Amino acid sequence: MTQFGKHPAKSLRSLGLEACLNALRDASVKPKEIQAGYCGNALAPALQGETGVGQNVFWEVGISGIPIVNMENACASGSTALREGWMAVAGGFHDMVIIAGVEKTVMPKGTMLNVGGGELETQLGDVFPGYFSLIAQKHMEKYGTTREQLAKVSVKNHFNGTLNPYAQFQKLLTIEEVLNSPMIADPLTLYSCCPNSDGAAALILCSREKTRNINGRPVRIAASVLTTGTYDNQRDITGWEVEQRAAQTAYQMASLGPEDMDVVEVHDAFTISEIVHYEGLGLCPPGEGGRLIDEGATELSGRIPVNPSGGLLSKGHPVGASGVAQVVEIVWQLRGEAGKRQLTNPRIGLAQIMGGNKEGDTRACTVHILIKD
Amino acid sequence: MDQSWELVQEGLFDYPLADRQRPALLANRCNKCGKTFFPKRNLCPDCFEDGNLEDILLDKRGIIYASTVVHVTSPVGIKAPYAYGYVEIPKNQVRIFALFTGSNPLSFIPGQEVELLVETVRENNRGQKIIGYKFKLIS
Repeated sequence: MTQFGKHPAKSLRSLGLEACLNALRDASVKPKEIQAGYCGNALAPALQGETGVGQNVFWEVGISGIPIVNMENACASGSTALREGWMAVAGGFHDMVIIAGVEKTVMPKGTMLNVGGGELETQLGDVFPGYFSLIAQKHMEKYGTTREQLAKVSVKNHFNGTLNPYAQFQKLLTIEEVLNSPMIADPLTLYSCCPNSDGAAALILCSREKTRNINGRPVRIAASVLTTGTYDNQRDITGWEVEQRAAQTAYQMASLGPEDMDVVEVHDAFTISEIVHYEGLGLCPPGEGGRLIDEGATELSGRIPVNPSGGLLSKGHPVGASGVAQVVEIVWQLRGEAGKRQLTNPRIGLAQIMGGNKEGDTRACTVHILIKD
Repeated sequence: MDQSWELVQEGLFDYPLADRQRPALLANRCNKCGKTFFPKRNLCPDCFEDGNLEDILLDKRGIIYASTVVHVTSPVGIKAPYAYGYVEIPKNQVRIFALFTGSNPLSFIPGQEVELLVETVRENNRGQKIIGYKFKLIS
């Protein structure tokens, strides 16, 4: 992957090139060995006026002529690309494919991304932090979750980010700094929200047979699941059924449970999101996400470390790249290559991300489980 | 010359209102499963063509399910601070997204009773008023 952050001088293509080259070199695979390419990108048509980003990026490394697919599933674009590639390899259609996620969303200071303009809610003033603040308000009301607990998510992830050279922010934060940063949508403050970011990430995926011929240190995908919201108008918004369903399906596919996970990356676009994901993934019972962060269970030294990379809050959130970058982090952790933030001998990891709001629900959610055999 | 207003979206409510007509949100309801949809749908997602959708007006009274105050101006140009959230319409068993109006943005709390009104949400860059629906506290 590339470093996440502000890359005004780099195009989508050059960011994608850097990530794809890193992945190809890491696996000692040549571009001509790749049989299909899947590229996640969410916002280039809206922000850069660029479509067909996958063909542009893969051509930069000399990959063309083969099936190339562009995937858009909002924040889950990159992870959806991974799932499509996984289905093609698991289904026997290809035995070596490349997955990329690439995005440039850095905007002039103080501007919010103007996306989703076709939706009624957006026209009525809905903004991403606002939607998540409603979830936070309900979680606080129902379970007694506190502002301090929410802030602790940001403090933890920023600490982890200082140990990750790929992270956008290399800065420690205190609970007070998170709480006292400018209010965006009550109770979410500026440091409770992930930044806009530029960046790219890539993965090489191949069949078990093919791994014998390459020099990389492969990690196995034990589960790959994509779910879509049901848009149940009257559901309890303190949890996402779409995520609980994805997690349960993934655990069944891998014949594992949440207690087996050694490392987890979740979609912490906002502090409240991470709390809700703890519960949705079964890392703790519903309503106890606040207690889990209080106990320190999700810190690097905790029982179940979450977002060792720094998460979206600190590492940054180049939308279409984030889902791929989460899996890159899990792979590094399982291989023991995560540098200063390396966990002690993790063997099983999980990555969760979801994308897009529709009628108060989430459009897409993916869960991947990876194992070092 | 352009007219002085535009609807935030067609088909959500009647506007301008006729004499003595009260504002109401236009919804529909599946005659098989009874589920209500706002905005209106073309098909019931559960019953498909086994159910027919009948037009109804939503009750103007609602109860706040969740609320927040946004402290940054929205990309479409609604000035901060402003309040919005979800409103339950008990009579129709439906929950809708809505802006709140008529009081300090900090004063909207879950459980409070609110009432529908139709008013300007913002102005567009041609100076037209964008007309939408909002809820205000019942005093």
